[in-house]
Amino acid sequence: MNKADHSSEAASVNLDELLGRVDNDRELLCELLSIFKQEFPGYLQALQNGVARNDAGQVAGVSHTLKGMLSSLAVTKAVAAITRLEQLARAGEMSSLRAALGTFEKEVQGLIPEMDSYLAEARP
Amino acid sequence: MKILIADDDPLTRRLLEKTLERVGYEAVSVPDGRQAVKSLSVTDAPRLALLDWMMPELDGPGVCREIRKRREQNYVYMILLTSRQSKEDTVVGLESGADDYLVKPFNSDELKARLRTGERILHLEDRLVEAREDMRFKATHDHLTTLWNRGVIMDLLGRELTRSQRENGCTAVLLGDLDHFKSVNDNQGHLVGDQVLREVARRLLLSVRSYDFVGRYGGEEFLIVLNNCRPDSAFPRAEEIRKTICTRPIQTDAGPLGVTMSLGVLLSRDWGQRPADELMREVDAALYAAKAAGRNCIRQAKPEKTRDVVSITRPAVERFR
Repeated sequence: MNKADHSSEAASVNLDELLGRVDNDRELLCELLSIFKQEFPGYLQALQNGVARNDAGQVAGVSHTLKGMLSSLAVTKAVAAITRLEQLARAGEMSSLRAALGTFEKEVQGLIPEMDSYLAEARP
Repeated sequence: MKILIADDDPLTRRLLEKTLERVGYEAVSVPDGRQAVKSLSVTDAPRLALLDWMMPELDGPGVCREIRKRREQNYVYMILLTSRQSKEDTVVGLESGADDYLVKPFNSDELKARLRTGERILHLEDRLVEAREDMRFKATHDHLTTLWNRGVIMDLLGRELTRSQRENGCTAVLLGDLDHFKSVNDNQGHLVGDQVLREVARRLLLSVRSYDFVGRYGGEEFLIVLNNCRPDSAFPRAEEIRKTICTRPIQTDAGPLGVTMSLGVLLSRDWGQRPADELMREVDAALYAAKAAGRNCIRQAKPEKTRDVVSITRPAVERFR
């Protein structure tokens, strides 16, 4: 994985910013990506369940945690989408949750493969 | 220095751990607020804490409130770490007892700088506590001997008498006075006199149990309170104390000096509900009697029909000399 590839418009992770945040520690970066890969599916599932059940509390809570994780990884666009979802859930605007979830899912669609590709390159 | 990280997001936890370990902190991580309170309540707990605002079980401000309720434990410097950034949130966070506030995603240089501020505050707190403890010690202890001072030993005696009356127990009150101490000061000088007093104090402390009290009552007078003392063991213990003083000479700058102590003894059980200051008058009279009997001996204050203070029988005194 080279920087240019992953800083492009299509890329989800802002690698330059992320490397700066971990003091260029690529080993730590790989560890963080692995943690995300492991945790993310469970959180996404919880988010989808919350939206399906119109459970604003669950959606707000899970969105908040995901926002923290995605912010730490500098996934800017996804952070904007999940922030919107959290705000809607806190405001109780249940009718808008489904659409906002769709936007978020679209933003994170390529995230895991992108991380896989980085990890494959980074690890011998 | 130990630091607590409380965040339900494992990724942020790991990032914080690594960032802080790099600059020498020993990170302790927990995933919720309840565990954070627990971790901050153990012996040798971290005194710096980074708390996520939103956590399961108990949120960051809740942790701050719980920790600030405590009185006797060390101060914990707490920083709330959160994506909330409105002024209202800042106010709520700080009013819950947080010391500082940092917005996620954190900048590692800013985080380190704020933690250094926390360390400075904790260092200042340590110095204040140390100064307070030092003042407390000086206010309660005799400067020369480091025994309890007169005010405190009288207070302790009063409390112990109340307790033994309530529990129908017995307290032995011993008032000891060094014999011919004035001549030590006059002939060897006050510095040597001070050495003698310090060594006597040390020997007295070594000759009592950890829960007995020893105080400097006056110049060369010492008050010893033997808590929960069986009446039949008071005299043997007073005798041990007398011997502790006279058996070995005290090493001073003027050479070894033989020192003796006369003692008055009183058993609270013999005197009913009499207050501490009255008992002190009685034991002082017994001490006076010991001096009059030739010094380096013990006399007991015992109520009689016509007199409150009597000498113990001569054979008994002889036995203990």
